[in-house]
Amino acid sequence: MTSAPVPIRLSHVSLVYEGGVVALDDVSLEVARGERICVLGANGSGKSTLASVICGLLAPDAGAVELVGERVCSDGRPDLEAYRRARRNLGLVFQNPDDQIVTSVVEDDVAFGPENLGLPREEIAARVARELHRVALDDYAAADPSRLSGGQKQRVAIAGALAMEPDVLVLDEPGSLLDVRGRSAILRVMGRLAKAGTTLVHVTHFMEEAVEADRVIVLDRGRIVLEGTPDEVFAHGTELLELGLEVPFAARLSQRLGLPWTCSEKDVVDAIAGVPFGDRTLLGHRPDVPKASCPQMGHLISVEHASFSYSGRAQALDDVSLEVAPGVSTAIIGQTGSGKSTLLRLLCGLEVPDSGRVVVAGNDTSTKRGRKAVRGVVGYVMQHPERQLFAETVEKDVAFGPRNLRLSADEVSRRVNRALELVGLAGKREASPFQLSGGQRRLCALAGILAMEPEVLILDEPTAGLDPRGRAMLRRVLGRLRERGITLVQVTHSMEDAARCDRVVALDQSRLVAVGTPREVFSPKNEERLTKGGLGIPRSLRVARELERRGWPALGEPLTTDELVAAISETLNDSKGDCPLLNHREVR
Amino acid sequence: MALKISIGQYYAAASPVHALDARVKLWCVLATLVAIFCAANAAQLVLAVTFVAVLLALSRVPAGRVVASVRHLMAFLAVLSLFNLLFVRTGAVVAALGPVSVTSGGITAAVLYTARFALALVTGSLVMLTTTPTQLADAFDRMLSPLSRVGLPGHEIAMVFSLMMRFVPTLADETSAIIDAQALRGGAFDEGGPVRRVRSIVPVVVALLASGLRHADGLSRALDARCYEGGAGRTHLHEQHLSAREAAAAALTASFVVLLALLGLLF
Repeated sequence: MTSAPVPIRLSHVSLVYEGGVVALDDVSLEVARGERICVLGANGSGKSTLASVICGLLAPDAGAVELVGERVCSDGRPDLEAYRRARRNLGLVFQNPDDQIVTSVVEDDVAFGPENLGLPREEIAARVARELHRVALDDYAAADPSRLSGGQKQRVAIAGALAMEPDVLVLDEPGSLLDVRGRSAILRVMGRLAKAGTTLVHVTHFMEEAVEADRVIVLDRGRIVLEGTPDEVFAHGTELLELGLEVPFAARLSQRLGLPWTCSEKDVVDAIAGVPFGDRTLLGHRPDVPKASCPQMGHLISVEHASFSYSGRAQALDDVSLEVAPGVSTAIIGQTGSGKSTLLRLLCGLEVPDSGRVVVAGNDTSTKRGRKAVRGVVGYVMQHPERQLFAETVEKDVAFGPRNLRLSADEVSRRVNRALELVGLAGKREASPFQLSGGQRRLCALAGILAMEPEVLILDEPTAGLDPRGRAMLRRVLGRLRERGITLVQVTHSMEDAARCDRVVALDQSRLVAVGTPREVFSPKNEERLTKGGLGIPRSLRVARELERRGWPALGEPLTTDELVAAISETLNDSKGDCPLLNHREVR
Repeated sequence: MALKISIGQYYAAASPVHALDARVKLWCVLATLVAIFCAANAAQLVLAVTFVAVLLALSRVPAGRVVASVRHLMAFLAVLSLFNLLFVRTGAVVAALGPVSVTSGGITAAVLYTARFALALVTGSLVMLTTTPTQLADAFDRMLSPLSRVGLPGHEIAMVFSLMMRFVPTLADETSAIIDAQALRGGAFDEGGPVRRVRSIVPVVVALLASGLRHADGLSRALDARCYEGGAGRTHLHEQHLSAREAAAAALTASFVVLLALLGLLF
């Protein structure tokens, strides 16, 4: 290890990609030894490029870069030998776990870096054992990485980077393709590393992950626009929203309630619980919460005692029954491996249950004819649907489905226009789908399915891997579809998204554990089971329950921040607008 | 439609076959395969079957696992042997039904070729099941090192092979997902006339190519970040040594080959 005073120093760094896209624009940044830095920014803000520059994989066009004591680039002229030396002390973990694992055995993969450094065998073996222990994968040394979950793979990648004993570890959106559990495991590892004094540079678009950092840097169009402690940065709520980012839930809630600014959920609860109010029992009536309407007019989809297993493997679905009425939006929640995706495959007739039946719009999927009819009714948006894009232009890609239906040219173009209009890509019809942003690519794939004019749209984690702006775009489109009476069934990892649906279906270990309206499913009697299953409940509900535990009267079942704020203000019997808690304090 | 690709699926177990130096294993298997294809009479076949059975037992890989990995190719073999049975016309006619007749030569050919291929497949799959792709790549690396001396990229070829093994399951999963997705947009493989079928390959291949390029991009980033600079200066976690085990393996293989040759001379 080198003993450089500053591991990373960038001064006035600019980088322009081919085609004149400015990725970094006059960025100056210093990272101190042992510091934990979080870089935030929407897609296209240059944050990934910054990560590449910091770990010595990209040399800027202008400016000077000093990495782990090596002056690798001055005035835009890279010193390749210095870069080589610097890279030996820099580690990188990035978004897609599949692309980072180079061998078919976990232990060999962790050893790959140290092998490249030419370390002696005993040293490599010791480091592999140590790092696998650090990421809690001791038992997986001989496993095949392709059989691990995304979160486990990402931990293998982290162990592989750490085994090289880097002075700085750069993590470029390590959790964006993972589920909630995988992401929190990564955060735990990062917490341990920070405590052990590792210098961390963490690039992310999940605001909650930035709360633990020593310093937060916000990038927009290649420039550093905000910099400071998490509290300082998140105090700029409106600015962050304009940059296509969002504010952590706790910060948003404290702002809405007019409480002192904080990013910690516990502090918010403490603050609310600390507000004195008069006669708690008298004020303690339940706020009126509108009941979700649930039209009951026959079933469009019915699953009857369906069980399914992939050949030779454990049961993927075990005696699952449920019904979906037309026009209703349903969320399927459950851990990775709970059978959610399998259920979706059964619903679109891609798989047939081993026992039981699946009937969609009167068609039983057990016959070939039935499956074909189901395909005419159901649109299936698989995980990462943008991977199915192939045509030269957005328009041609969207037209692929209708053309296969052998519709007239007029009808095809009518459908393409309508679908592009719906997802808001009408202005991009001549663009190549590969030139769109991540969020737009997904919308383009969605348009391709909407052009089939399905009655039922089935989506597998539609917002996974998107930045806040992309997620918001997608939610808006789904809202529009819902208004048009399209039946939506979506698998989601976000309890907040689930709470916005009409019905929620919870799966755990291949079995149905709860089904009903969000209020029913997230009710107190299910809370423990959901938390134990690793799912949890919506954040607003969690805060309400915590307040009740601290002696507050019942707050009802607030599923969104709006409802929670309303419930809290109503309980305090104060309807004076945005700052009920502070107003309240002043009045007394 | 789900593609089941079982090549390169390592089965972890503690056995002498697993522990064997991969280079020695490959040379031994090569000798065994040549010998198996030279087996021409019943005694030789019995010996070969026995030898492969012994290897299977030594490897501690469940027989079901081996069968599963060669199942699809076995179906192909069954068809092949049927052709041999019906179309080989040498030797005496054993049975006839209308224009179809089975000759003794046909029976011999059907049994012999099928047995040889089946044994070769089982032996080959045993190598894949007992050797990690890294070990295989390292072995190729050493075996190809003479190439490096004359300026050819021996190590790099081995590395490419290893990465290919690593990405087969990933790309197989993606392929089946893309096929499903395009099928749901009416571009099914298994519908319509031949022209339509061929045409329906394009959306799958293009999407897959794009995905392959994305992986290549990510992979190059990963290799750079982990300081991969080719074979020079690399060390290995699993150093491969030649020991008594390797000598025993060589001796076992040699005795099999000699015995098989003797049986060929005797009968």
